[in-house]
Amino acid sequence: MTNVTTTVRGACPQDCPDTCAFIYTVEDGKLKDVKGDPDHPVTRGRLCTKLNDFAAHHNNPDRILYPMKRTGPKGSGEFKRISWDEALEEIKSRWTGIIDEFGPQAIMPVHYLGHQGVLNGLTAGDAFFNRLGSTIAEKTFCGVGREIGTHLSIGGSTGVDPESLVHSKYIILWAVNTLSSGSHHWPFIEEARRNGAKVVVIDPLKSRTAVQSDWHIPIRPGTDAALALGMMNIIISEGLTDAEYIAQHTEGFEELAERAAEYPVDKVSSITGIPEADILTLAREYAGNNPSVIRQGVAIERHRNGGQTARAISCLPALIGAWRHVGGGNLGLTLAPFALDWDAMCRPDWIKEGARVINLHNLGSALNELSDPPLKSVMIYNINPVVQSPNTEMIKKGLSREDLFVVSSELFLTDTAAYADIILPATMQAEQTDVMFSWGHFYWTYNHKAVEAPGEAIPNTELFRRLAELMGFDEPEWKRTDEEMIRDYLDWDSPFMEGITLEDLQKNGYAKVAAGDKDTRTPHAEGNFDTPSGKCEFKSNLAADGTFVPPPFRAGYNGQQLAGYIDPLPGYTPPFESPESAPELSEKFPLNIISPKSHGFLNSQYANEFKQLRREGEPIVIMNPADAKQRGIEDGDAVSVFNDRGSFTGAAKVTDDTMKGVIASFHGHWQKKTGGNGSHKGSVNAVSSERMANLGSAPTYSDILVEVTKISAV
Amino acid sequence: MPFVVTDNCTGCRFTDCVEVCPVSCFHGDDDRVYIDPVACIDCAACVPLCPVQAIYEDLDLPEEKEHWTEVNAEKAPTLPKIIKKQPLLEGAEERMEALGFSRDN
Repeated sequence: MTNVTTTVRGACPQDCPDTCAFIYTVEDGKLKDVKGDPDHPVTRGRLCTKLNDFAAHHNNPDRILYPMKRTGPKGSGEFKRISWDEALEEIKSRWTGIIDEFGPQAIMPVHYLGHQGVLNGLTAGDAFFNRLGSTIAEKTFCGVGREIGTHLSIGGSTGVDPESLVHSKYIILWAVNTLSSGSHHWPFIEEARRNGAKVVVIDPLKSRTAVQSDWHIPIRPGTDAALALGMMNIIISEGLTDAEYIAQHTEGFEELAERAAEYPVDKVSSITGIPEADILTLAREYAGNNPSVIRQGVAIERHRNGGQTARAISCLPALIGAWRHVGGGNLGLTLAPFALDWDAMCRPDWIKEGARVINLHNLGSALNELSDPPLKSVMIYNINPVVQSPNTEMIKKGLSREDLFVVSSELFLTDTAAYADIILPATMQAEQTDVMFSWGHFYWTYNHKAVEAPGEAIPNTELFRRLAELMGFDEPEWKRTDEEMIRDYLDWDSPFMEGITLEDLQKNGYAKVAAGDKDTRTPHAEGNFDTPSGKCEFKSNLAADGTFVPPPFRAGYNGQQLAGYIDPLPGYTPPFESPESAPELSEKFPLNIISPKSHGFLNSQYANEFKQLRREGEPIVIMNPADAKQRGIEDGDAVSVFNDRGSFTGAAKVTDDTMKGVIASFHGHWQKKTGGNGSHKGSVNAVSSERMANLGSAPTYSDILVEVTKISAV
Repeated sequence: MPFVVTDNCTGCRFTDCVEVCPVSCFHGDDDRVYIDPVACIDCAACVPLCPVQAIYEDLDLPEEKEHWTEVNAEKAPTLPKIIKKQPLLEGAEERMEALGFSRDN
């Protein structure tokens, strides 16, 4: 028999700004290879160290292929195969019993962006759980605080097209490690640099990107707003502003100038740890080299003042008129031009009166403490909270409750799935249909199903069709095919969709939104900000309404927002866990830990793959030589990192890459029993906190104090 | 864990590798190129483009080529970056064939 080899267009499913266009190679019905599409203008045929072995990931023998039922104690990872009918019958009987006794709010979905597809991603189960009347899960793990902060200043801006970066003359990569977590921006940055641009990285850690930059400015975690305000003060007091742009296209300049004056350079230096001369140079160079652009990373928000930090930074471009120029302004989330009908996806019209909202940063507390009704069942998909969510010890304790019915839809037996009562097998990207937006470029990407699903695995779309039928939901929406859902979910009439049809998208694999030409676009040269005043609001009109989380991150629901007071001017507040805010805590736990994304894993995904594990190695704890010496720790020593919430272990890496008082450990490692490496215990999120930042309920993963000790040899 | 250019590169300069590299981590002398291990982001884009299969991930190096990890790390930082395809060295095509490779593999 001759081999039949075909190629099929696909799209990377991961929660990463780059959303690469794929070419699947299929041989006799089996996935042989996954490569980048060389014609894609941003991703250009290259994948990354995480996704290069994606075919092997599909064919990994550890895949969950059939429904399974727990046979050992919770968390033990002992399961037996059952049929889909048995699994669904068990789910129906347990959920029906819970609803009868406690009401549907005793059930909650636990999910996020383990898959980023329009069909199978963030909102895949929202319509089902809204119809069921469950507790609503609010998910603000990544970027919402930054976006709310930015939104208060410049509205729902499309921002700078990353392809326009080639025109930039001064590029600040602020709280982003581009080369590890979004490396397809780099060729544009390199081209700008060859044209004379300077690349500056602001990051507590000397990341790969910092090493390759022209200037790395290390900063104390959580103090970036003080730096931004200090830059404003220098720019204003030295007359480096674009007065005409400010007069025509901004509001609240006088008030901003007053606020910025509270941040003289000596004060900013003492808050941030950056030398005064460097702060002066940064402000002057930034203002004097238009087009200047700031790429704000997600890490900007991971502390108490997270939202206000993004807000302060997003005021800078208007102050110097950067928006006048191609390649000048702010580059954050590029989601604004992806026209989706979120209400059709989430069905908030099905939400019942008196809905309950729980933010998943509080999952540990909710599982253990919630009453009226308590949580009696969680359904976990597209997420691995035992590794990735804050306060993992509380989560493990909650998931161990004998009276809690846990359903998990998964690819592998993760540290979280190990706590399930029922596990359902999920498909991987080449086995399903989807369409992807991007939060790092302006292209839609289409993913064709390339191969049949292995075993009895199903996509999330089919999962929720089956669950809807199981629970007796008979609306016509549950009968749609995947393609019909795509037609319903994309807003084909939006001006951003001009020239894009589903047929073309399917044929070509990708299509750029109609948001202007990369070599000429200046979205805010004439103002046109999507704010109440239409201007860049240094003093925000929207602040009066209080903080909020956009409905797509809370199943489409816009009720029961956190609200509360927002300072209408950008401001600086010290971290929760800092000597200023918590002197006693900081004596007990003197080190500030940050937990950046690793180079080899995508959060916790791929951390069970041989190649990625071998590249990434054991969990490490990066610490400054002064901190190490003080604790008798040498490079390579096994250390324990702990605070009152929990502990984890890793190997010390003693280096000047981090400043004194700040340690770092990459997140994502699994425990060995579920496919991880080595003998480490716990994960970095054992020490992190459920507290949220001041805007958009952002997490506070960088606002954590710990102590480190050497583990004595046994 | 970076990628490493090994002995097969010497004397060829096909240099298809350098243009695909997203981080411009190739450096070169008159005979060949080397990868700067600090700049390499392990994306592997260069590997399939090398017609003489000279590029390996360091962890996959055959034992007799392991020393190339150190050679790349030492040489790359001392040499200029090569970001554009270079003129082919004389005899490179014949050398490729002698090594048992062709443009099509």
